[in-house]
Amino acid sequence: MKLKEIAGRLEWELKTPGVPLEAEVKTGYASDLLSDVLAHAIEGDLWVTRQTHLNIVAIAVMRDLSGILLVSGAEPDADTVEKALEKSVPIFRTALPTFEAVGRLYQIGISGER
Amino acid sequence: MLELSLHIMDLAQNSLAAGATRVEVRIEEFLAEDRLIIEIRDNGRGIPEEMIPRVTDPFVTSRKARAVGLGLPLFKNAAERCGGGMRVHSEAGHGTEVLAWFRLDHLDRAPLGNIGETMGILITANPGVDFVYEHRVDGKAYRLETPAMKEILGPIPIDDPAVLEFVRRDIEEGLRKIGAGTFPKTLKLLK
Repeated sequence: MKLKEIAGRLEWELKTPGVPLEAEVKTGYASDLLSDVLAHAIEGDLWVTRQTHLNIVAIAVMRDLSGILLVSGAEPDADTVEKALEKSVPIFRTALPTFEAVGRLYQIGISGER
Repeated sequence: MLELSLHIMDLAQNSLAAGATRVEVRIEEFLAEDRLIIEIRDNGRGIPEEMIPRVTDPFVTSRKARAVGLGLPLFKNAAERCGGGMRVHSEAGHGTEVLAWFRLDHLDRAPLGNIGETMGILITANPGVDFVYEHRVDGKAYRLETPAMKEILGPIPIDDPAVLEFVRRDIEEGLRKIGAGTFPKTLKLLK
């Protein structure tokens, strides 16, 4: 499913307007430990996290992730958004906590398969 | 915890609960050594020596240990996760020093967070307590101390809401001037 469609169906708020959302997303990964994401996320994953600082963009770029979903209503730092726009990394936000956000993703067919 | 300033808030509250009238927070960044040090020192009633191994163990739930809370075990865990550690030194009746060290650029090192707001809240919520905040980066220093601030403020009480805003901004600007790092810069591709 295209990132754009997922975001629409799950009513996420886009924090990086103008960044392309055409990526086809099949899998996701949820973790707040950056080293863990670097080690275990795979290309194309949608990353679900509560971390908001600049390094999340770097991780997304290094691992070629399709996007980042911030949970529990967390707002990205200003410099995080700036860098995400520059590197074309989509960042979304939801009020739902991780468990609920991942559950909804799973329901619409996004798996954690490695 | 997501930010180091939240750990600092938690530990400063331990100090206040221990009856401290002076709380000093010292942060130092050693860029060449890739090391970050955070020290919280107070003149509270201290922790008896035999209790010290217990206050860093989250599973010890004696009433005395519970009064200390989870602040110390969580801080220790945050430091150890980043190739660092934590040490508690205390003398009953004299105060407590908590010293933690981190690898400055460890990927999992929590960002400093809003330390200006943390100190501002501590200072304005506890007008009878002296606070010192010192931050050094390779020798360049920023320092804020409330005894000196009180003299400058004159008739304005330290718990005036404007003081919170002043402290927040002063620390923010001060840290920018000395080039304090707010989060780990492991990922050079962003430069």
